Amino acid sequence: MAMSVEEVEAAIIEKAKKAPKPQLYIKDFYKCAPDMKPRQIKKIANKLVEKGELMFWSSGSTTMYARPDRIKDEEGAEGIN
Amino acid sequence: MAKHDTPMLDELEKGPWPSFVTDMKRQAETHPECWDILGQLELSYEDRITHWKHGGIVGVFGYGGGIVGRYSDVPDRFPGVEHFHTVRVNQPAGLYYSTENLRALMDLWDKYGSGMTNMHGSTGDMILLGTRTENLEPLFWDLTHDLGQDLGGSGSNLRTPSCCLGESRCEWACYDTQDICYALTMHYQDEIHRPAFPYKFKFKFSGCANDCVAAIARSDFAVIGTWKDDIQIDQAAVKEYVAGNYPANGGAHKDGDWGPFNLKKEVIDLCPTQCMWMEGDELKIDNSECNRCMHCINVMPRALRPGKEKGATICIGAKAPILDGAQFATMIIPFIEVSKDNEYENIIDVIERIWDWWMEVGKNRERVGETMQRVGLPTFLSVMEVEPIPQHVKEPRSNPYVFWKEEEVPGGFERDIVEFRKRHAA
Ligand code: HEM
Ligand code: HEM
Ligand code: SF4
Ligand code: SF4
Repeated sequence: MAMSVEEVEAAIIEKAKKAPKPQLYIKDFYKCAPDMKPRQIKKIANKLVEKGELMFWSSGSTTMYARPDRIKDEEGAEGIN
Repeated sequence: MAKHDTPMLDELEKGPWPSFVTDMKRQAETHPECWDILGQLELSYEDRITHWKHGGIVGVFGYGGGIVGRYSDVPDRFPGVEHFHTVRVNQPAGLYYSTENLRALMDLWDKYGSGMTNMHGSTGDMILLGTRTENLEPLFWDLTHDLGQDLGGSGSNLRTPSCCLGESRCEWACYDTQDICYALTMHYQDEIHRPAFPYKFKFKFSGCANDCVAAIARSDFAVIGTWKDDIQIDQAAVKEYVAGNYPANGGAHKDGDWGPFNLKKEVIDLCPTQCMWMEGDELKIDNSECNRCMHCINVMPRALRPGKEKGATICIGAKAPILDGAQFATMIIPFIEVSKDNEYENIIDVIERIWDWWMEVGKNRERVGETMQRVGLPTFLSVMEVEPIPQHVKEPRSNPYVFWKEEEVPGGFERDIVEFRKRHAA
């Protein structure tokens, strides 16, 4: 059965809270809604950034997603590059 | 922020060529933070390691791209480059600016940044190098409100599309490169300003195989102008070239001592497909063999021009070395019409077919060219629903096994076992 947008949002937030590393690739969210097209999931993730539930985090060349409260310093340059 | 001793960098000011060190020293007179760039670079030369940190979370509200965060890892020694973010400004199609606009942009950058620029980056954008986080929002406000300009793409976004100057100045353009570049920039605003993919994706548009934006080497999706019918030949002009009355290559090499123009040596023998010859004083071309490389047209522009039935070839998957080595794009669609009348719907279909597949199958940080290589061209062609043609084949096969799909075998793989056993007892 297809998931509603709200259910997908909740699953994405849950994943972003629990994942071992705070920064996630967009592909990490695909499993939150296996029946949905990746471009649809990307739209939902970007909406969550607009709502402040997620934030963008850039490695320099790749953009990742994170829960704002899991990223400490503003620079956050440690970790993945 | 004072001057630092930079003996190694100073070496780079010697010689007759322009020096970025000299440029930065001049810039430092009005923007003292530039002394710290030089100081930090000198330190990097000593330590043999970069002192820039990549990454983090800089940007402007509502956008997930367009600003590339850069920080010094030795800010105590070089406070001027504690933050040194790069701003990408979407360039106009074909890079046409008015001097008024350029002055306004430079004033803006003098006000909010280091004043240093890179015109233009390989992506195509105008690159403004070096500002602090707190300057980003006011800069973005002025850029968008006063100048009516926008940021380009970075990170996992669709990168700023770019094009050659095409029909605006070049009679070889096989389609309107600037129009499609602008149209797709507008069509894909969301993809340009916010991350859309597992990794970057670039479009570039060249009007002919001379490929002035180097689309074939630098873009995931290269649209390169070509034609279907015959090269147009003006035999009278061919004679003028042979007689030496018209300068070869539009006179581009006339300062060198190349001797008189030699049609056989400079055109016929250099045709990569060997499809040209002379019959008496008439130049002949076997157009079915010609691969539209543009060489002969470049040498004799007054005698030869592209055909009349124009469109483009689509090549997919070029990239710089990040995970694997650098690679050129692979020709996938030999000819496609490029027309503003259908708002480029047929091109958009191709683009979105690639995206839907790559987003699903591509790995994190894998460019589409790498995904193609991983699955193999036959698989990619079937994803694209493109029939293989000889031009897709690079070399004769070395693998002796041929695998058939059921739909390719008459009667399929199912067989009546009873019928078979009547002829071949178990
Ligand atoms: C060891 C150090 C560095 C390496 C290996 C490196 C590598 C690269 C590579 C591979 C690209 C992509 C080129 C392309 O395909 O278009 C790039 C682009 C870029 N880099 Fe670096 N980089 C380094 C340091 C820096 C620094 C220190 C800065 C700024 C302070 C910087 C600013 C940029 C910018 C603005 C671009 C994009 C230019 C464009 O849009 O074409 N990089 N870098
Ligand atoms: C669907 C039918 C068959 C398949 C898929 C098949 C597949 C193979 C494969 C994969 C090999 C190994 C090739 C290698 O050295 O890399 C092989 C070897 C061999 N097959 Fe078959 N085979 C089939 C039918 C037959 C039949 C009908 C015969 C004889 C009447 C046969 C005789 C042999 C022999 C003698 C070898 C060894 C060749 C050597 O290593 O020098 N095969 N086969
Ligand atoms: S790529 Fe071709 S059409 Fe475009 S400017 Fe260069 S020569 Fe002209
Ligand atoms: S365009 Fe290139 S391949 Fe075609 S005839 Fe001219 S030189 Fe030969």
